[in-house]
Formats: sequence, structure tokens, C-alpha cells
Amino acid sequence: MRPLVSLVTWLKGLPRITVVTVSLFLFFGIFGPWIAPMDPSAQDLSLMGQGPSATHWLGTDHLGRDTLSRLMVAANTSLTSVGMVLAIAMTIGITMGTIAGYCRGWVEDLLMRLVDVGLSIPSLIISLAVIGIVGPGYWSMVFALALAWWPMSARISRAVAVSIMNKPHIEALRVLGASPLRIYFNHLLPGTIGSVMVYATADAGMAAIAVATLSFLGLGIQPPTPEWGQMLVDALPYLESDPRQVILPGLALTAAVIGFNTLGETIALNRVPKRLSRRQLLTRRMEVAGWHKETSDAA
Amino acid sequence: MAQAPVLKVENLSTRFKTGQRGKFVHAVDDVSIELRSGEIVGLVGESGCGKSTLGRTIVGLEKAHTGKVFLDGVELNRLNGREARERRRAVQYVFQDPYSSLNDRQTIGETIEEALLIGGLRSREERAAQITKLLDQVGLASVVKDRYSRELSGGQRQRAAIARSLAVNPRVLICDEPVSALDLSIRAQVMNLFLDLRKELDVAILFIAHDLGLVRQASSRVYVMYLGKIVEHGPSQELYDNPSHPYSQFLLSSVPEADPTTERDRELPMLAGELPSPVDPPSGCRFRTRCPLVADRCSLHLPEPATVSPAHSSACIRAREMHAKRRSIFVEHRAA
Repeated sequence: MRPLVSLVTWLKGLPRITVVTVSLFLFFGIFGPWIAPMDPSAQDLSLMGQGPSATHWLGTDHLGRDTLSRLMVAANTSLTSVGMVLAIAMTIGITMGTIAGYCRGWVEDLLMRLVDVGLSIPSLIISLAVIGIVGPGYWSMVFALALAWWPMSARISRAVAVSIMNKPHIEALRVLGASPLRIYFNHLLPGTIGSVMVYATADAGMAAIAVATLSFLGLGIQPPTPEWGQMLVDALPYLESDPRQVILPGLALTAAVIGFNTLGETIALNRVPKRLSRRQLLTRRMEVAGWHKETSDAA
Repeated sequence: MAQAPVLKVENLSTRFKTGQRGKFVHAVDDVSIELRSGEIVGLVGESGCGKSTLGRTIVGLEKAHTGKVFLDGVELNRLNGREARERRRAVQYVFQDPYSSLNDRQTIGETIEEALLIGGLRSREERAAQITKLLDQVGLASVVKDRYSRELSGGQRQRAAIARSLAVNPRVLICDEPVSALDLSIRAQVMNLFLDLRKELDVAILFIAHDLGLVRQASSRVYVMYLGKIVEHGPSQELYDNPSHPYSQFLLSSVPEADPTTERDRELPMLAGELPSPVDPPSGCRFRTRCPLVADRCSLHLPEPATVSPAHSSACIRAREMHAKRRSIFVEHRAA
């Protein structure tokens, strides 16, 4: 009962838009295939390109498939692939980050320079290169994106791991003569995973965009599996005659991304235990924006 | 005094890298100290003089640049891996801040149990019994074992931290300002705990502090440290009565007198200037930049520790003279 109560209070502290969009995304992402009113790939060429009606609440696409069902199932596609990408990227990132944070010295330098290399190449370019070599497909997309995603989580994990390692209670364990494995697995790893997970979830929006982008380009999810990016590109020829077909998947994707981005922003800005007032939040935001501008100007 | 020291530190130096190549912070510089079983030894000096670093180097939290640490005649720095961990375990460290030295995700019982496990106690029943015994030893009720550190007061936390270090049967406890984070009213209790533990367990305690009054009350011998070096060392009573290094005299004159009339009339000497940078320490005597008695020869070479009376030595060229006169340099300085 107690964890539930604390979860509810935590949710209450988040912006409403985050709670609504993220929970909708998760709900359809998990239950989409079961609650979709129709078969998302069933074609009915007599009904192609129709507007909303009693049977097809959000209309049909150019092959007469039910748009609502396709959107719901696409949420599932998006959620699973984003989850896969983040899970793989975080496993690699946390492993490398904690090892760097534990060992320090040249091991840390080596691993972190590797991370720098990874971060210096834009993620989309890495993904395109990997898919170009392996060939398009679901798994090559997941691995390509994970490959582009791990450096960031490695960097965050290293920072968290270093701060944990410097805490006196870890030093006390070292003085007690705890084995390195005990310190690593019983104290460092669980502590790091907890903090990094939160940051990584905030990154899910960007991952969702990346999945949609690759699918839009025909390099990710392959038809007939419904996916938002792919629905967009399918509907592109009808942009002028029937904009609804483009707007709906676009809106779904936008909502998911806005949800995760605001979640990420709230987490980043609200690290202080106390909730910030609207004004404090604004100044904090300006600071972050100013800092970002400064660094980009310098670069 | 014929008893062999349990912990012996020989010519220990610790240095840290600075941003510049080839420049180092000489935090501890050629320090030798000894601890015997059942004695409390004070280590005093102002902030930044390297007393904490010395303690951390002894337990292996910092790497010694040169020098040796012997425990019962076994050189600790030579050991590696498992053997080092098992040997070093006999030297435990009590941290200044009891808030961060306990894991806030573990209950006190879990924390102590982990220490017992590390110490190699395999049976669960024995561990449970030992936890109760340790908590009792540090004056905590056994119900505390199910509490998290955030539910305890500062004094209770420090007691719990002490119980954790006692879990591995240490021969030496290095206490880094263990009471300075605590309320005044709690300090005396925790100090008494240390005195009791020394008697009961026959451990040697190195008590690092800047509260000279506390050190005087608790310790039998005192080391005075300045800028990485031991400048004076002697039996507590003797050193407090007749400090024979100008720095110790300054340090001790900062202790308030208990009698309000003397305290009011007392002239407080001020130590001129700031602690010099340990990156480029002064040549010769480290204290010469702030010493009122500085002479030309002070900058030539480091003064050797001079024995002024049995077991009392001071690293000042005028140590014997000061000791014989039994007078504060300030009186002398003002008269001149």
C-alpha cells in the first residue's frame, strides 16, 4: 500500500501533460494489440481513404485499413522497440560506466574516451551506417539504435558511480576489507541502476522519434507491422487530398515525445527534493537554456 | 613503554597530483608515528595540515607515496589483494560525518551484519548474537538494528558506525574527528565510549581532532602536525604544560581557559598569515613563514626533532631553550 501511495504523490508532482500522454502511450503500448477494434492489416479497398464513421472511428487509410487500430498497434510496436533499445543501451552503458567509476585511472580514461567517440558521431548517422551494413529489419534497427544510444547512459552512469564510490560508507566498506566484487555488485551497481533508470526513461521520447525516423526512411520496422513513422510515409502522397492520414500518426508521435520530454525536463529540474515554484522553474529553465547556448557558441 | 607498538608508521609521505605537471600537494611529508595497544593518542593541527590524510593513508584509503606502515611488525603496504584486505581489517576508521558514513538504504543491523560477513562470520545465528553484543557495547538498544540511519540521532549514528568498525575485531581505531559533527552534549558521551572501549578491548586509538581540550582529556600522548609534518610529540600532560614548539604554543593558547577572569585578561596571540601552500612548502622549517622567533638559519634546513625531555620531542632549533624556560614565546616576544 505504501509504495502505491508514494507513487501517486510522485505522479501528482509531475506536469499533467506528462502523466496523461505517457500513461496513454504505456496503456496502448501494452494492451494495443488486444483492444484494437479491428485487424490493423485487414484491407478493404472499397473503403480506402474514408473519413471517420461509426465503424471506423478515425477513418481508413489508402488501403482501407482501420486507422484507430493501426495507431493502437503502432504504439505497441513503438513501445517494444524503444524498450529494447533502451534496455540494450543501458546494459552496455551502465556496465561501462560503473566499471569506469569503480576502477578510475587509465581504465576510466580509456572507457570514457570511447564514450566521447560514440557521442561525437550523431546517433542517426551511426544508425544509418549500421543498417547500411547489416540491412534493414527490426533487429538491425534495435541494435543500430542501441549502438547510438549507449554512450549517453555510460556517461551518466559513470558520473553516478563516481559519486557513489566517493561516499564515506563505501570507503568504510573498503576499510573493512570488503572484496571488490561485494562493493561492485552489492552497493555500486544497484545504486547506479536506480538513478540511471530515471534519466534513461526521460530519454525514451528521443528513442521513439529515432524509431519513427528510421521506419519513415524504410530502414526500421517493415510493413505490414503498423508503425507511426511508416504510417506517415504511407500517407505522404495524400497530404493534400486527405491530410487526416498524416496528422493522426503525427499527433500520436508528437504526444508521446512531448510526454517523455516534459518528464525528462521535470526530473532534471526537480532534482532538488522540494518542488519548485513556477517562477523558480522558469529561472532554472532560462539558466539551462543559457548554458546550452553558451556551450554551443563556444563549440 | 617497553611494549612493542601495534601500529608503526615510518617516514610516510602522501602526495596528490595537482593540475600542473610535476607539481604535487605534499599532504603528508615524512611522518613517523607509533601506537601501542590500549592507548589513545591525539593528533592535532589546524585544518588542511594533513592529519586526515595521514589517517586515510594508514588505513589504505589513500596511497602512500613513500614510507611504511607496520601492523604487529607486518608491513601493510607490501601486501596485495585478499591478504592485504584481511590484514588491514585490523585497522579501522571512524569517519567524521556519521550521516554519510552509513548507507541510508540499509538498516543498522544490515550494516553491521555486512561488516561481520566481511569479517568471515558465516553462521547467521552467530551474526545475530554478535550484532546485539556490538550494539550493547556501543551503548545502543538492540531495537536499533531494525532502524535506518535517517531515523537515528547524530550520536546514535556515530555509535552505530563505531559498532560497525568493531565488528571485525580491530586492533587499531583511527578516529577522524569523530565527535566534531555532534552536539556538545553528545560529545562527552561518545568520548566516554572511546575511553571505555580502549579499556575493554585493548585497542589503540588514534584520535584526530582540532578540539585540543578533548584531546587533552582523552589521550595519553599527542602528536602536533603542521603542514604535513609532525612538529612536536610528547606525553599529553607534559606537552600541554610545556609546549616546546612555537606552533604548539600558538595552538594551545587558543584553548579557552575555564576560569572566566583569567580568560578575560588573557591576551590572545594571533597566528600571522595563512597556512602556506603544501604544493610549495617553505624551505627549512615549515613554520618559519609564520613564526615570531624566525631566524636566518630556519630556512636553511629542516630542524631535526630534538628530545627535550623523555618521550617529548620538538622539531624546532630553539626547542631545548623554550622547554627550559617554561615560558610562552609570546611573553618573551612581547618583552623583547
